[in-house]
Amino acid sequence: MTLEEKLVILADGAKYDASCSSSGSKRRDSNGLGSVAYSGICHSFASDGRCISLLKILMTNCCIFDCKYCLNRKSNNIKRAIFTPEEICTITMNFYRRNYIEGLFLSSGIIKSPDYTMELLIKTIKMLRYKYHFHGYIHCKAIPGASNQLLKELGCLVDRLSANIELPTANGLKLLAPNKEENKVTKIMSYVKENRNASFVPAGQSTQMIVGATKETDLDIMNKSESLYKSYDLKRVFYSAYIPVNKDKLLPALTTPPLLREHRLYQADWLLRFYGFKTKDLLDEDNPNFNILMDPKANWALRHLDEFPKEINEATYYDLLKVPGIGIKSAQRIIACRQNFKITFNDLKKIGVVIKRAKYFITCNHQYFINSNYFHKSFIETNLILEDSIKDESLKEQLSLFS
Amino acid sequence: MKNIYLYDDSFSSLLNLINKLLELKIIPLDIKTKKDFTPTLLDEPITLELNKSFNIQSINVSKKIIKTVYYVYLSTDPKKELIIYYFLLNALKYQDKIFYMRTLKCVNSTLKLAKRISNECHKLKGFLRFKEMNNHVLYAEASPTNNVLELLSNHFAKRLKNEIWIIKDVGRNMYSIYYKPKYYIVSGQNINIQKFNISCDEENIEKLWLSFFKTIGIEARKNSRCQMNFMPKKYWPYIIEMERVYEKSNNG
Repeated sequence: MTLEEKLVILADGAKYDASCSSSGSKRRDSNGLGSVAYSGICHSFASDGRCISLLKILMTNCCIFDCKYCLNRKSNNIKRAIFTPEEICTITMNFYRRNYIEGLFLSSGIIKSPDYTMELLIKTIKMLRYKYHFHGYIHCKAIPGASNQLLKELGCLVDRLSANIELPTANGLKLLAPNKEENKVTKIMSYVKENRNASFVPAGQSTQMIVGATKETDLDIMNKSESLYKSYDLKRVFYSAYIPVNKDKLLPALTTPPLLREHRLYQADWLLRFYGFKTKDLLDEDNPNFNILMDPKANWALRHLDEFPKEINEATYYDLLKVPGIGIKSAQRIIACRQNFKITFNDLKKIGVVIKRAKYFITCNHQYFINSNYFHKSFIETNLILEDSIKDESLKEQLSLFS
Repeated sequence: MKNIYLYDDSFSSLLNLINKLLELKIIPLDIKTKKDFTPTLLDEPITLELNKSFNIQSINVSKKIIKTVYYVYLSTDPKKELIIYYFLLNALKYQDKIFYMRTLKCVNSTLKLAKRISNECHKLKGFLRFKEMNNHVLYAEASPTNNVLELLSNHFAKRLKNEIWIIKDVGRNMYSIYYKPKYYIVSGQNINIQKFNISCDEENIEKLWLSFFKTIGIEARKNSRCQMNFMPKKYWPYIIEMERVYEKSNNG
């Protein structure tokens, strides 16, 4: 098998992992090849619009597990391959020198045992760091079930570690990934959380959930994310729209992946992490799924119209963040600007507020943008949905939240 | 008659001139480089006697303001000199508070332009593609809208510090040549690098990358529109994985 054939097989097996970020690391190294950029750098964009910043490959696609949704499961009859550590190092170094990539994302199927697989991963990355003096970004998958000693060794070599939780409930996991146990994944997470510092997993840890392979609702997923962020200080939870790669009676027969649903989850994820929202604000037992027609924030605002309109010149930072069309940057700018003068509607555009969304929910100097009699739910809802349907095309560009 | 003040293309000469204008309380109608100035009947070019020992630090503003102004200087906006003049005029008065005064026209333009430059630089940090020459020198070409060669060089001097590399700004015919520990920016008129050949291994590595690039996209999620939004077409001719797509789309 040529190196190119191997690369194709092992990149194909790795591509369903959503994470590709190369941000969050501040390591400094004096010599060798490479550096890290705190903001992360995207080097290319694949045909599906997702950013390519890391060389995302499996060490091997051989696996002793038989997870129903996974391309590399034991019972699938596909071509199998394994990279030697030298091969991985050569490809990484050559791509990195030419500025194709920001670093390496190494994952692997499980061969023999979790510990054995982990040892191979460590051997590879050690070689890359010490023999080839590579100082670029490395994201590595931790293998559930491996010993803490190995986890410690790996964590000191990489920028980011991750272990995928895959499904939001233990039932879902039991159904589709009978060999995987949730507590083995969370064990990794708590170990990383407790030991994280500038030289151990400096860019933090992340995880991924598959969306749409089981019957779980958005509420289940968001509750899981919220508790993961809270308990383990995760940097990111990634959501991956389920794409049928295997036929199995336990799996839904989807024709297209639920991309819009995935997009709504990412939007809600941002609301949790940066906007001070809680899952219970956005969803409840009666409405366990997001409105496909409208983003979660606008949807929330419409259900809580009694809290609006907010006065731009008086509202607190977190109140401003609740307004659709106002983000972190524009909220900060509003706060800073209004110390010097009163803000008018004309100023808001320069500040960076998305006026066509925000105007329904705010007043400037106690003035509504049109006659305030129009401030009622049906008027605003119709206009917002109309606005969205015009740019329906751009809705599909959901991966803008990835970078 | 319209007075036009001239400076000789360098950043410090521009600041020196603006500093002088502020000192003399002159409000310029236009500022241009000597190179860009074409005489007309209505324009009166003026070259002021400038302070020879001028030091940028002598302007009483923070480093952050100077950095912002420097980014604007790198842009191609025809009015950039005047924008810098008015921005500095206000910055002297308001200091760092100025970053929150976007409602002033000059501040808004300055911050927008500075953002545009840092965006383009950030994009190219990712999109630049080096090829290895037969003498192990890495060579890359780009044609950025703004003059980001120096900013890019700073980045790659850290990242590829043990390599020898050359980045060519095709549009401006400028080269940045790095030889540890420094890079030198020179005009294309002064050097000749045609003699190098691409290393024999290069084609194999490129082939590997192209296969990886093709494999990593998920067919069921195909979205060329989104791909193009993030990776604008103007960069395609210099990105090896897009080069072929670009040529195809241009030939019909």
